[in-house]
Amino acid sequence: MSEVQLRIHDLWKTFHPGLFESSVEVLRGLSLEVDKGEIFGFLGPNGAGKTTTIKAVTGLVIPDRGEISIADQPHDSMQAKRLIGFMAESPYLYTYLTGREYLRFSAELLEIESAEIDDRVESTLARVSMTDRADRKMRTFSKGMLQRIALGQALLGDPQLLILDEPMSGLDPVGRRDVRDIILEQKDRGVTVFFSSHIIPDVETVCDRVATVIAGSVRGIGAVRELIAREVESYEVTFTDLDPKSVTTPVASVHRGSDAAWVRVDAERRDTLIRELADRGARLVSLTPVQSSLEELLLRQYEEAAS
Amino acid sequence: MRAIRIIAVNTFREALRDRVLYLFLGFAILLMASSKIFGILTVGEQDKIIKDLGLAGIQFFLMLIAVMMSVILVSREIDSKTVYYLLAKPVRRWQFLLGKYAGLILVVLVNLVLMTVILVFFVWLYGGGFDPRLFLATGMIGVEMAVLIAFAVLFSVLTKPILGSVFTLAVFVVGHLSQDLWLLTRHLPGSLGRTLVSVLYYLVPNFERFNFKTEVVHQLPIPAAAIGLALVYGCFFTGLVLVLACVRFERRDLQ
Repeated sequence: MSEVQLRIHDLWKTFHPGLFESSVEVLRGLSLEVDKGEIFGFLGPNGAGKTTTIKAVTGLVIPDRGEISIADQPHDSMQAKRLIGFMAESPYLYTYLTGREYLRFSAELLEIESAEIDDRVESTLARVSMTDRADRKMRTFSKGMLQRIALGQALLGDPQLLILDEPMSGLDPVGRRDVRDIILEQKDRGVTVFFSSHIIPDVETVCDRVATVIAGSVRGIGAVRELIAREVESYEVTFTDLDPKSVTTPVASVHRGSDAAWVRVDAERRDTLIRELADRGARLVSLTPVQSSLEELLLRQYEEAAS
Repeated sequence: MRAIRIIAVNTFREALRDRVLYLFLGFAILLMASSKIFGILTVGEQDKIIKDLGLAGIQFFLMLIAVMMSVILVSREIDSKTVYYLLAKPVRRWQFLLGKYAGLILVVLVNLVLMTVILVFFVWLYGGGFDPRLFLATGMIGVEMAVLIAFAVLFSVLTKPILGSVFTLAVFVVGHLSQDLWLLTRHLPGSLGRTLVSVLYYLVPNFERFNFKTEVVHQLPIPAAAIGLALVYGCFFTGLVLVLACVRFERRDLQ
């Protein structure tokens, strides 16, 4: 059985903005488990509760109810915090420091031995391709450069659990590819990566498993292929020896080729159509499920939640 | 202690890279340098005027540094969300606040030492001789600032930066009017007004307890007990206010 690196159980959070503003229930019994060594995507539209969940895991937001553990340690214990590398949605850094100064400061807070700090900072700067710009004040950095330093401080302590909130937002294609490479490289080193995104191709490319979150609770969880497979909406049916226009079962679209014909039928009418084809002497060539994309799945879950 | 020290050093470094600090320091030195002009107006009392103005200037500009820097450096950390990366590391929330507090104390201490040395120099330069008791007066201003910074840290975690500055400034002003508040409670007609003023009197520290300027300027004796009492009083208020700030910050959501 796989070892659980991050466990979130029945997490609830309501924000109370002020006296004259109504409360906002952001998390509603959110639960999930992330296995050790996997890349886990946390997918959902804006306002779904992704960032609040991540802030609860990193101790920035205090949940009203629920439990969070990291490698079986309470998430707010010092032991658990020593296992985490965290990068927030936007790179919130001290702009009066240089990139190198900031990483040194982070290394000290991460309790890295003094003798090791220089080597660790240099290797991290190289890893995020910032060595030649590390002595510039960060107020002169572009967003992509800040993002790289922010990722650097997350990697600096050799974390066992890397938590990244929208790590690729605001990056150019090269930056996105670099971040993807770093995530995959961390997985190869046995690091668990938990990252949120609303950019679906990012998630599809790198994640072993994903959770879709809508309105503060998890709607689906599993491998990307598995999740999509659960969502078969229609079938493509290919057959011969029958004029497709004569089919009486309602179908979505009809095509006739030189040898065979194919039609698309809703999932609930599949059996009716197969029976009709058999009764009328047609020869069934293939029956192919038409799977929705992750994006379509998410949109449908979103619409269901809204209704 | 390690995390507190690292955050304190970084806070100090941040303050040193802020131009506001040098502006206040420049004004303070200018005031001390120009005190000779005021001294000329009072025949035979020049050194007293220089000391009086110098000590008042140190207190005023240190107060401005304490209020501005405290609220800027603590609130900015929360508002600009740089605190996210600190608290996701093995750092407790109270360690963060105490680190910021220690860094601010360091900022004020360095400025205090610098201003005191300059004042002692000007007093000597203008013929007042070397007066070591000036160090006692400025030292007690330092204790006063330690209490005031604790309040600024508390307000920084309770409210917005502007309000935090206003409240800290109000504590400074009310704290210096503490004796008047006490007298007011005896003369106010209504019981509600008396209760309100009494509450204010007990909530806000009496900053006049740290005021030894008159004794130093006029060469009056200073009982050791008064100094000891002021130190204990300052430590008590600082500790109490910092504990309140830490307790509040422990349960605050960082959005």
